[in-house]
Amino acid sequence: MTDTTATPDTTGKGGGRRRLVISQEQIVLIVTALLAIGFALTLSGFATIGNLLALTRSVAILGILGIAMSVVVIGRGLDLSLVATMAVSSAFALQLMQHGWGWPGAAAAGMGVAIAIGLINGFIIAFVEVPALFTTLATGFLIFGLGRTFLLDGVITYLPPQAETFAWIGQGQLLGIPAPVIVLAIVALFVQVLLSRMTVGRFVYAHGDNVDAARLTGIAVRPLTMLEYAICAAIGCLAGLVMAASTASINMQIVNSTLIFDVILVVVLGGVSLVGGRGGVLSVLAGTALIGTLLNGMTIMDLDNNIQNIVKGAVLLAAIIVDNRLHPQDEETARQGD
Amino acid sequence: MNATNPPESGTVILRVENGSKMYAGVHALQDVGFDVRAGEIHALVGENGAGKSTLCKSIAGAIRLSSGRMSVDGQSVNFQRPGDALRAGVCMVYQETSLVPSMTVAQNLELGRERLITRLRPLNIKAQQQLQSLNFHVDPTVLVATLGTAQRQMVEIARAAYHDARIIIFDEPTASLTPEEKVHFFYLLRDLRAKGLGIVFISHALEEALELADRITVLRDGRHVVTQDASTLTREDLVRHMVGRDVQATHYGRRAGSDAKGKREKVLTVENLTMGNIVKNMSFTLYAGEVVGIAGLIGSGRTESAKIVSGALKRNLIGGGSVYLRGRPVRYDVPKQAIDDGIVYITEDRKLNGFFETMTVEENIHLGSLATKKGFRWFVSGRQRRELAGALAARLKVRAVSAGAKIIELSGGNQQKVVVAKSLIQEPAVVFFDEPTRGVDVGAIPEIHQAIRQLADEGKAVVVISSYLPEVLAVSDRILVARQGRIVEEFSAADASEDRIMFAAIH
Ligand SMILES: Nc1ncnc2c1ncn2[C@@H]1O[C@H](COP(=O)(O)OP(=O)(O)OP(=O)(O)O)[C@@H](O)[C@H]1O
Ligand SMILES: [Mg+2]
Repeated sequence: MTDTTATPDTTGKGGGRRRLVISQEQIVLIVTALLAIGFALTLSGFATIGNLLALTRSVAILGILGIAMSVVVIGRGLDLSLVATMAVSSAFALQLMQHGWGWPGAAAAGMGVAIAIGLINGFIIAFVEVPALFTTLATGFLIFGLGRTFLLDGVITYLPPQAETFAWIGQGQLLGIPAPVIVLAIVALFVQVLLSRMTVGRFVYAHGDNVDAARLTGIAVRPLTMLEYAICAAIGCLAGLVMAASTASINMQIVNSTLIFDVILVVVLGGVSLVGGRGGVLSVLAGTALIGTLLNGMTIMDLDNNIQNIVKGAVLLAAIIVDNRLHPQDEETARQGD
Repeated sequence: MNATNPPESGTVILRVENGSKMYAGVHALQDVGFDVRAGEIHALVGENGAGKSTLCKSIAGAIRLSSGRMSVDGQSVNFQRPGDALRAGVCMVYQETSLVPSMTVAQNLELGRERLITRLRPLNIKAQQQLQSLNFHVDPTVLVATLGTAQRQMVEIARAAYHDARIIIFDEPTASLTPEEKVHFFYLLRDLRAKGLGIVFISHALEEALELADRITVLRDGRHVVTQDASTLTREDLVRHMVGRDVQATHYGRRAGSDAKGKREKVLTVENLTMGNIVKNMSFTLYAGEVVGIAGLIGSGRTESAKIVSGALKRNLIGGGSVYLRGRPVRYDVPKQAIDDGIVYITEDRKLNGFFETMTVEENIHLGSLATKKGFRWFVSGRQRRELAGALAARLKVRAVSAGAKIIELSGGNQQKVVVAKSLIQEPAVVFFDEPTRGVDVGAIPEIHQAIRQLADEGKAVVVISSYLPEVLAVSDRILVARQGRIVEEFSAADASEDRIMFAAIH
């Protein structure tokens, strides 16, 4: 027997574990609040309207990507190709706009590319039975390479100036709220309804909880996997469009950045466990809030990139260790029941 | 620890006084007193949810008592985690899959003791010696995933011995063993007892407890009822203590009209089913309104055949035999197709592939309904879930602390009922039960049997795969005996007896 039991508690494992999971979200929110107060008191540039708007705006895209990722992670998967999918599909949409397409048609075409990529990912994982980690690592390279070679003209794709309406989702605002935040709210609401109110969402949780039981219960696990990756990719494309609209361009170099790790960070941090079946949209939002505040504070402090990376790495490691403690993948899990 | 100096037989090694455990304000254990002596086999019996596992888990350090005292060798102890208990010589063998399947036998023996760097060769040699000293014929270098239930249990026992345990607790160790394996297991327990170990074992088979144990403790509703020498107790006494009233022995009459096979509708015909060398030319026919029991040893291909028919496994592509559903040849790739055709398989290993541990009892049952064509809804309605799942849970008499209880908070027997309910809500026409009453108490077994027979009365074709012969005899209209991947004998319920079935299963 190993010693990796969750923090002992007097009320028992089952109950205790559940309470601890909820409190992971709460812990994250409390830490966020403390951090924000700390920054507000010590950093002169933090508590300004302008900064807070910039913060929410920059965090919105991370949040949308986090929600996209959470859909596959809850189903006990992982999509490392998410950022590549996002970049290629949204750049493709921009390029179509340059070629005179209207923005709805162009966005839909980009979305179509993303969904196709998601379906292919899901197909390889579900039917060819390659582990998600390797599949999406490989497809990430493929998407980037193929996209650059066959779909896109250059490294940076610009938003054509006539696409003002489209630019609103990145630059506009409603009642003072930046449009990306509104998009985030809509995506969050949609995925929340999908995961917790719709049967498909319950299937996703079942899939992540226990694949074999899901299969025996009669859930079509393989098509479900494809659906999960397609939804993830589609939301990823949306994030890319918001990003493109707010900076009026999309730079393919983003694929080589650490963005994908930031995404995993916000997902795991809030309590969407990598073992699957746990957490939800609210967890991602909590994780996003914490990371957003942290990154913003560090940027204002003008810490250099290396230190920022050290901090992010440490936080991710801490989150994964907490996750492991709460959902041990060893014998202890198996022993919870009886 | 202390293995060099075994305590005198009969001295109390471990004692629990006034042990209480609360879950969400409800007592799972209340003022329970319990002790284990060196060199005794101590059976722990009680209904599902009586608190047996809770008591044992607290002794083994997996959970902590809300209040009460515990002492080892007279010294008061307070185990925070299983490792603490292990160091004090208390080891628990849990009912299912508590080994790590992806590791070898030797690595599993070492589990909980690994150093930073472990060299494999000495580890394997040490494991080999340990296994041999216990007369276990298991290769230490194979993966646990490839072992059968009985072998896994041997590894668990070897692991306890490996850790110099002085008390070994078994939670329903015999539930998934065949009769011969049980005989071997009992022999082992007596051997451990002779070495001065204290053995605690939980069992729902009262005959076993009476035969094997020196003392028996009965729990009811989280309270201690009696602890007595086994020789002074009878089965009736035990049942009365467990249930708190007299219970009539459960004898089933033969089901009315069960011999009128000729008139019945043929629902499913299986011909020469073959898969690898596990299932070889398995053939049988199922009729509407009939319960067919399949007896046989573990490894006789019963589970695999059921899984093939219900789409969970695939038979050989060429020469795999045929399956006809009402005359129509079928071959399923996934269970979903079988379920859509009304064929369900209810698993023998609920934890491995039976239930969803993050979900509540109702969610588990309701998912079964949502996964069918008929029961599918785009949106989940909480009210519908409560109604549908609640009705099924009530029909199978699932006992939980509250309606919204999570399934992992239920006792083992009640989890089993939930798994059965999850499949019955799919309104199947052909049902394969694999070890349906594993871990279910004497009072609740008749409830599950009742549900099985009711299905047949409703005109469904029902198969019960069971290693427990009294069960097969009790529920079946017709009994098939499987050996080495094929059906070797068929009995009508009237002609069958335990002896004849055993004879056919072995020879
Ligand atoms: N983690 C938990 N959270 C809440 N209640 C629990 C938890 N674990 C057990 N219980 C409750 O405590 C009671 C005793 O459960 P326990 O598992 O000890 O029963 P048992 O005697 O082992 O039954 P069985 O024979 O079915 O295995 C049950 O009512 C059960 O629902
Ligand atoms: Mg139990």
